Amino acid sequence: MKIKVLGTGLTKFGELWDKSLFDLAQEASLEAIKDSGLSPNQIDAVFVGNMIYGKVSNQDHLGPTIASQLNIKGAALRIEGACASGGLAVHLAIQSILAQTYKNVLVVGVEKMTDISVSQVTSALMGAGSEEERRAGLTFPALYALMAKAHMQKYGTTKKQMAQVAVKNHFHGSLNNKAQFPYEVSLEKALNSPCICDPLNLFDASPITDGAAAVVLNADTSKRGVFITGSAVATDTVDLSSRESLTEIKATREACQKALKQTGCQIKDVNVCEVHDCFTIAEILAMEDLGFCKKGEGAEFIEKGTTKLGGKIPVNTSGGLKACGHPVGATGVKQIVELTWQLRGSAGSRQVKDAKVGLAQNVGGTGATVVVHVLQN
Amino acid sequence: MSSPVTIWRSHKKLSAYLNKEGRLVIWTKIYVAPVGFEHQVPYLVGIVQFDPPAGGERMPLQIVDCEEQDLKVNQKVVTVIRRIGKTKSEDVIEYGLKVKPRS
Repeated sequence: MKIKVLGTGLTKFGELWDKSLFDLAQEASLEAIKDSGLSPNQIDAVFVGNMIYGKVSNQDHLGPTIASQLNIKGAALRIEGACASGGLAVHLAIQSILAQTYKNVLVVGVEKMTDISVSQVTSALMGAGSEEERRAGLTFPALYALMAKAHMQKYGTTKKQMAQVAVKNHFHGSLNNKAQFPYEVSLEKALNSPCICDPLNLFDASPITDGAAAVVLNADTSKRGVFITGSAVATDTVDLSSRESLTEIKATREACQKALKQTGCQIKDVNVCEVHDCFTIAEILAMEDLGFCKKGEGAEFIEKGTTKLGGKIPVNTSGGLKACGHPVGATGVKQIVELTWQLRGSAGSRQVKDAKVGLAQNVGGTGATVVVHVLQN
Repeated sequence: MSSPVTIWRSHKKLSAYLNKEGRLVIWTKIYVAPVGFEHQVPYLVGIVQFDPPAGGERMPLQIVDCEEQDLKVNQKVVTVIRRIGKTKSEDVIEYGLKVKPRS
């Protein structure tokens, strides 16, 4: 499989009160189309990744709403898979190109989250949980807190080690002018931030963010460029308590193995990685479940600086969800944009030297959906 | 929020879990709540493993009638019926399962 990333577009991430969801989608899309060298009438299909907009605004039917704004006449649809909506949209766009249904596909992930209150966002996101979880008053921070507590008990992972994930990602974010929080934070500040859900502090959590990311994909393999060579999805139970283990996201392992198999690469060949650090514990789990280190050693692996820029395998050079921000439907597409820039060598001050293989892991819910993409130049 | 018919449907399943014993697998204390639960903050929620014959399955449930320092892993708990969240005055008041430590 070889799908070319022909163009990329990314808005600023943050609290963008003067911009609507459609302003953001249009800005990222036009940038991606311009970067691709195509004109809008050469785009056959638009795949929109979005999770909560219909629920919080009453505006559904996002596919044609966004496509018509861009003067694109082809097929247009919205894909929802909780916080993996963006990654799923990329996956489905690739399948449609491989099936030769469409030639040039625009994927735009977008979310507008700051128009509503924190409890409204918290409730809307819980749509990605199970009915039992909602009835128990659970929230996503609480679900990841349960996983964090289980990991602390089983493997001795500490709050300090979790805070170090935030410190690293803020350092990376400080080098990204598109990031919601483009500045560093100290370990003390992260550790002393208010508790949102024991054992997770505010600095263990990704923020509420507005933003959009877009890519133009096609099957052109004749020229040099950046190509998606692996794309896989795995699923598990939506309800966290029904899983075999609270200390791993099995779907990450399965999607990663499937995606790598398509490429012929192994995990040790990966030079740069974007993972779904919706909470700091999630990045620790991702390191283990993707196979960068053994189960239970994720925190130590990150603590040693292995995943910091300049380390052996830089993870979340964009700043990750923690510092770059987490507009849920956009995140999976933003990961592809960041890896494309790294593999093009255009990532500026956060460039990973000689990056050849990139891997993106996008998680929906507590791991009921995981999408893994592998990119190569 | 739940409608009368969805509450009625879920209650058909709920009756099998009345006064059931289970063990507390893990728990957390929530400080930022979703809509309808804000008045309870901070509150305890855990994953409960039910003893057979209730299926031996796990369920996420709120933990009531105790302080966090009284909890420990594998603690015996028992299900109780309590009001779920806060509803608007014109909505049906929803009741459902929670657990408390077994005395």
